[in-house]
Parts: sequence; structure tokens; C-alpha cells
Amino acid sequence: MTVQDVLGQFNQIFIDVLDEEDIVLTLDSTADDVEDWDSLTHIQLVVAIEKHFKVTFTTAEIENYENVGQMCNGVLEKLTAQTA
Amino acid sequence: MTTVKDNKEILSEANNSLLNHILKTIKEKNPRHGKKITKNLENIGDEYYKKSAEFFNKYALFVKGEGKDVDYGVDCYLKMIGIMMYEQVDFFRTGEYSCKSFEEANKAVYSNPEVMESYMHGLLLSQFLWNHHYKVLEFFIEQINSVKGQVNKYLEIGGGHGLYLSEAMEILGTNDIDYHCVDISAGSLEVAKKFVDNPKVSYRQYNIFDYDEAEKYDFITMGEVLEHVEDPVALLEKLGSLLKPDGMTFITTPTNSPAIDHIYLFRNAPEIIEVIHKAGFEIVKDFKIYSEDVSEKRAEKLKVPMMYAALIKKK
Ligand SMILES: C[S@@+](CC[C@H](N)C(=O)[O-])C[C@H]1O[C@@H](n2cnc3c(N)ncnc32)[C@H](O)[C@@H]1O
Repeated sequence: MTVQDVLGQFNQIFIDVLDEEDIVLTLDSTADDVEDWDSLTHIQLVVAIEKHFKVTFTTAEIENYENVGQMCNGVLEKLTAQTA
Repeated sequence: MTTVKDNKEILSEANNSLLNHILKTIKEKNPRHGKKITKNLENIGDEYYKKSAEFFNKYALFVKGEGKDVDYGVDCYLKMIGIMMYEQVDFFRTGEYSCKSFEEANKAVYSNPEVMESYMHGLLLSQFLWNHHYKVLEFFIEQINSVKGQVNKYLEIGGGHGLYLSEAMEILGTNDIDYHCVDISAGSLEVAKKFVDNPKVSYRQYNIFDYDEAEKYDFITMGEVLEHVEDPVALLEKLGSLLKPDGMTFITTPTNSPAIDHIYLFRNAPEIIEVIHKAGFEIVKDFKIYSEDVSEKRAEKLKVPMMYAALIKKK
């Protein structure tokens, strides 16, 4: 899986959780770019991502992620570690 | 030509420099959270600007008396938000509150003065930083006004930071009214004592289940305690035993609201109402507000916390 694949799946998760059809994420997207992404929806997004990819983030990761790219790479690293 | 500023503008500029400072600091230190609370404070109504300015000025004086400043409170608030975040993650993963027993909460939180002091400062600020906390306070003030002149003996259970007590005293006055405040935590009582700053109040450190009083109360306030116990029906029954037959009670409790010391999970308002009825009370008036400005359907899907408040009396 590439980071672009992960990004595509993230996009659908954001659309589902935030209930906003026209979200288009890039790796640089932050809460400033997505209207309903705030501290509460952040956690809902993260837990939806965990369930979707069957990974677990640490709370420090959840707290410190600033943009979509960091989160996508976090998922990729965890998936790679699982298969290694 | 002079430009006339509207009331809201003048109030928010002149008096709310403290609010602006606090919001700015929160946005710097926790941008996603700053975004959330600022969004929720939009369209809150003009009265808020007046009342919050009074509050933050009072708060600044209170912390000054302790040799601290408002930034201390902001730090406490952000610490509370950080801890809540951990609990929220756990809650969205498991669908349950992590704390399972009163003993656990007592050990980790209530009996630890430093933890409690910081927690109560954070919670105190949230009363004017969270739209839903502020709206519940407004509802409380309305209910206290409706019983003015009928109260001679007043009890607050789990008064915490003391804000509700100080509002009640302002409305009901202090002549010929006995005010008691019972809380299990020495840390909470210490904060309340200094914030309320009125010698008329008798502060009593008890687990409410072990507390009794020969002459019963006309009015009991119990904000955000019902979710801190294992058996909320038993707690309301205890409250009923402290109340005169025609006494009134004001309670609040949240749904889907994980915190280190929340034990009993209410998933929706009907579950709370059922507990109230089971304990032998009827609802005189109630009020519900979600923490976010979202539709009911989305709130349920995303388990958005709701605050439930009610004026109740014995059946
Ligand atoms: C979340 S705070 C609520 C503060 C305030 N009433 C409010 O609504 O914002 C809960 C308070 O209840 C107190 N408390 C929890 N369990 C209690 C018990 N069993 N007996 C007495 N006080 C208790 C805690 O020490 C704390 O001060």
C-alpha cells in the first residue's frame, strides 16, 4: 500500500465521520482546511481510522498529529510493522 | 460623524480582554480545541459577554489572592482537556467509561488535593468557555429565581469550584438562609471556599452517602455528581431523604461524557429521566443541550456529549 492509497481511504473516512460529501484531503490538510475537524471530531476520526485499518495509535500520536500526511504515514508504518 | 458601536461590540471589547486573552492562549497551545470552543461560542447571545466579563474579572481577583494569575487557570483547563482526551479515545474505542468504581475515582482524584485543585480550576473556567456549560448555568439561574423567597435552608452537594453556590447566594440573598456545601474532596472545598468567599456558608467534608442532617433542606443543588457514583438511583434517594417533603432539587448530569472520575454512563436523556423517576422524583422543568451545534441524528451517531439539567421534586 502506498501513502496515496491510504490517503484515498482516509478521504472516505473523513466524509463518513464528518458527514461532508465534498471533502478533498491532501497530505498537507490540517484542521484549518476542514471545517468540522476539531478536537472532538479528531478523536472520532482517529478511532474510525484505527477500526478501518486495524491499527492502534498511542495517545501521544493522537495528540500530536498535525496534518493528514503524518496520520497516513503513521498508519503505513504500523501496517508495515505488522507484516514484518 | 460618529460611529455608534453596538452594545455587544462595546461589551466584548472593553470587558472581555480576559476572555480574549484566554481564548488566544488556548488556541496557541491546543489549536483543534481552541477551534472547537470558539466555534461553539458563536451566537451565544449578548448576555454572555456581560456575564462572562464579570466572571473572568472575579476569577482574576480570586487567583490573584492565591499569588497566581489567569494563565494558571488556563494551564489547569488545558491539563483537564488533555486528560479528557485520553478518556475520550478510550470511550470511542470501547463504548464505556474507563473508571469502574467509586473507590478508584476517590483514590485517583477526590482524595488528591493537587489533582483536585487543578481539576476544579479547569472545570470552573469551562463554565464560561463551553457553550453548553454556560447555557446550563443560565437555566440554573432561572430556576433559582423561581424559588426566591421560599428557601430557608440550602444545600449544595459536590459543589466543586463553588460557582453554582455563589450564583445561588447572589439571587437568594444571605439573610436568614443557611447555606451548606458538602463535598467528599478537601481540594474542592478549599477552592469553593475561596471562590465563594462568604462566611455564611458551612463547608462539610463528607461522602454524601454518609451525610445526614436533622432539619431537612428546602432546596438542594447537585451539579454533575450523578455520573460519579455506581448507583445513581441510590444517590437520588439519599438526596430525597435530605429534602423537606415539598423541597426542590436542581440536578445536572451529562451523557457520553468520559472523564477520569465518571463511572455511570448515561447514553441518552431517557435513561436519566428513568433514574429520576425510579428514585421517587418528578420533573418540574428540564433542559437538554449538546456540547456541539449538530443535529440530533449526528449527535447520536457520534456520541456527542449532552448536558441534562432538571428542577425536580418528590412525587
Ligand atoms: C464534576 S464536579 C462538579 C462540580 C460542580 N458541581 C459543577 O457542576 O460544575 C464533582 C464534585 O462532586 C464531588 N463528589 C463526587 N462524589 C461525591 C460523593 N460521593 N460525595 C460528595 N461529593 C462527591 C467531587 O469531589 C467534585 O467536587
